[in-house]
Amino acid sequence: MPSSQTPPAGGTALDPTAVRADIGDARVIRVTPADVRATLERLRGEGFTMLIDIGGADYPGREPRFDVVYHLIKLASTSTTLAQIGQPERVRVLCGVPENDPVVPTMSDLWPAADWPEREVYDLFGVTFSGHPDMRRIQMPVEWEGYPLRKDYPLRGPGREKTPRPSFALKSNVAAGTPASGRTAAALQRQIAAARGQAPKDDAQ
Amino acid sequence: MAVNDMPGQFFLAKLDDVARWAQSSSVWPLTMGLACCAIEMMTATAAEYDIARFGSEVFRASPRQADLMIVSGRVAQKMAPVVRRLWEQMADPKWVISMGACASSGGVFDNYAIVQGVDTIVPVDVYVPGCPPTPDGLLYAVNLIQQQIRQGGRGGILARA
Amino acid sequence: MTDVAVPAHGLQIAPVGDGRMVISMGPQHPSTHGVLQVITELEGETVMRADPEIGYLHTGIEKSAENLFWTQASTVIERMDYLSPLSNACCYVMGVEKLLGISGEIPVRAQHARVLLCELHRIASHCVWLGTGGIDLGAISGFFYAFDLRERILDLTELSGGARMHPNYLRIGGLRDDLPEGFLRKVDELIAMYYPRMRDLRALLQKNPILQDRMIDIGILNADDAIAWGITGPSLRAAGVPYDVRRAFPYNGYENYEFDVITRTEGDAYARFMVRLDEMDQSMRIIEQARKYLDTPGPVMIADTKYAPPPKETIALSMEALIHHFKIVSESFRVPPGDVYQAIEGPRGELGYYIVSNGDNRPWRVRTRPPSMYNLQVLKKIAVGEYIADMVVMIGSLDPVFGEVDR
Repeated sequence: MPSSQTPPAGGTALDPTAVRADIGDARVIRVTPADVRATLERLRGEGFTMLIDIGGADYPGREPRFDVVYHLIKLASTSTTLAQIGQPERVRVLCGVPENDPVVPTMSDLWPAADWPEREVYDLFGVTFSGHPDMRRIQMPVEWEGYPLRKDYPLRGPGREKTPRPSFALKSNVAAGTPASGRTAAALQRQIAAARGQAPKDDAQ
Repeated sequence: MAVNDMPGQFFLAKLDDVARWAQSSSVWPLTMGLACCAIEMMTATAAEYDIARFGSEVFRASPRQADLMIVSGRVAQKMAPVVRRLWEQMADPKWVISMGACASSGGVFDNYAIVQGVDTIVPVDVYVPGCPPTPDGLLYAVNLIQQQIRQGGRGGILARA
Repeated sequence: MTDVAVPAHGLQIAPVGDGRMVISMGPQHPSTHGVLQVITELEGETVMRADPEIGYLHTGIEKSAENLFWTQASTVIERMDYLSPLSNACCYVMGVEKLLGISGEIPVRAQHARVLLCELHRIASHCVWLGTGGIDLGAISGFFYAFDLRERILDLTELSGGARMHPNYLRIGGLRDDLPEGFLRKVDELIAMYYPRMRDLRALLQKNPILQDRMIDIGILNADDAIAWGITGPSLRAAGVPYDVRRAFPYNGYENYEFDVITRTEGDAYARFMVRLDEMDQSMRIIEQARKYLDTPGPVMIADTKYAPPPKETIALSMEALIHHFKIVSESFRVPPGDVYQAIEGPRGELGYYIVSNGDNRPWRVRTRPPSMYNLQVLKKIAVGEYIADMVVMIGSLDPVFGEVDR
């Protein structure tokens, strides 16, 4: 892991989602929590029947802080051939959720698939989904405190944040209880010097 | 009359040695397969590596019937009390192999979600490095456990000190 | 330690009266295919309610990826779907290549090799599914046959990538290095041994009356429900909807390959079983075609030295090569800001990554769209009314892998 050796190079974008590179992977719609449900219902009426995913993202430098990202795909259940499926359209709905009021209406009554991913966004980001039948943690134990995927949550957890990472290169084998192998850099230098027929260096030990 | 001239045969040994030989020849692991290492553990039971030839004929799902817990895979925060409870439910004598880097030390995942080494929860007898270790590595670990059993390990054949 | 006042999932397991019993199946169970806990409410042997509890393998992979370089993140991402690691890596590197804008420059040989390896890993993943699914029902010999086939595939993975599982062979821009000598010959050997082996496996399992009794009409999932529950992959195709990402949104040159998308209409566990068996044959068909394409030599990494580490032999000879190598290894390259959703057809369904970059040399967010999580969620619906013994069949037919469900 590089994190102890090189600092992050420093990103340039506070809101990467506003920078739309011409990738063409999906049609992108940005909404607020007030109109996310209407937007998704309208999209469902247009034929975007499958909710592929609900995910979250945290942009602490930006207001609103969180993004809840809905991915939908236009797929009709009556399609029975590849030609009917064709190249379905993808749409990505980005719902910006403010930090001081992180509530979004649930989609689990429209799509039963939304149940667990919404619980996961709650568990990892702290965004609650109003109207969800079972809003409790899903990945972390139910009594866990903190929302791990937020950017201000330390990677190693609050308990171990300050403990030094083991630096294996500095540990002494002898101190750890395993016998030293004798294959140290100094021994190698002596060996090289002996092979060359030179006198060993003075600081060799 | 010398022993060799007597009709019939005698077999003299210490009861401890016989018991240890029996125990080491039929170590039955508990199915504690968690993640990728579990797949290599399953591969070790398959035809090419065949752990059954070392005595681990069956993997028992019930901790009451198993004497070796192979913790194969990363131990998440939610799973840690489960691992501990299962270890406590196993009957003595019992041994633990910590298979893979994640079980031994947290592995690649030095983060909030993974217990940094299953030896913080249960005492471990053999650590197997690798991510995942090849089934050969697991078989060697089982052999080491068998050696430990035959040499007496901790606390004799019945108790685990 | 042994009394659990608040179970980790937060639900109380207690008698509910009316002769119903609430039991916890898992998280340690021989047949849950991993660390799954299903809290089932039973009336006699019939399941009235099934609540799968996940999170017992939550690894924080997405958070780990945010602290690793772009080139390093694929190591942890490979460990999600651990039955077909290269599929995860393939999807991730393709997503990053889209953000970098180099998708059009990936060499053709690298694309064919990616297709070959992804299909090999699809077969390997289905071998585990087949073997463990059979074992759950008592068909133990199938396990040995299937895992032996998987061994040959792991041999190929080890030959090309260096490790049996998690080789980190696919890199942003192509492959780490070219396929070694003897690789294509071993692929030919695998192709030759595959068909007799599949004939044996099918003879053992496909028409087996016990297996058919246990799988037919179990866990029926129709097309409307499958789409509402976000099911993808073989489970969706067994319900009648021929959605395959390789055909709908072709990647890696899949438009140049001939293969059928296997679909069935019954939607029960046996249909999902048959779809996966036939899919293995289609994967082998793709492998044979990719094998022919790989006869043509060529580069396997893009030429742009900003992203591609220089060949090892040039590092000792050229200062520029040394500097490029140093920069890529010690601080990686930066990816321009933006977000992308990249999906592939994994063995379980649509595996997708929503990758966000803020211009840094590390990912800002890698959100996984885990097919297994959605496939498993539908257990809440299809298990109701079935026997508890069929729970095992249903979980096996949905084929979840918990590294992906929990991440």
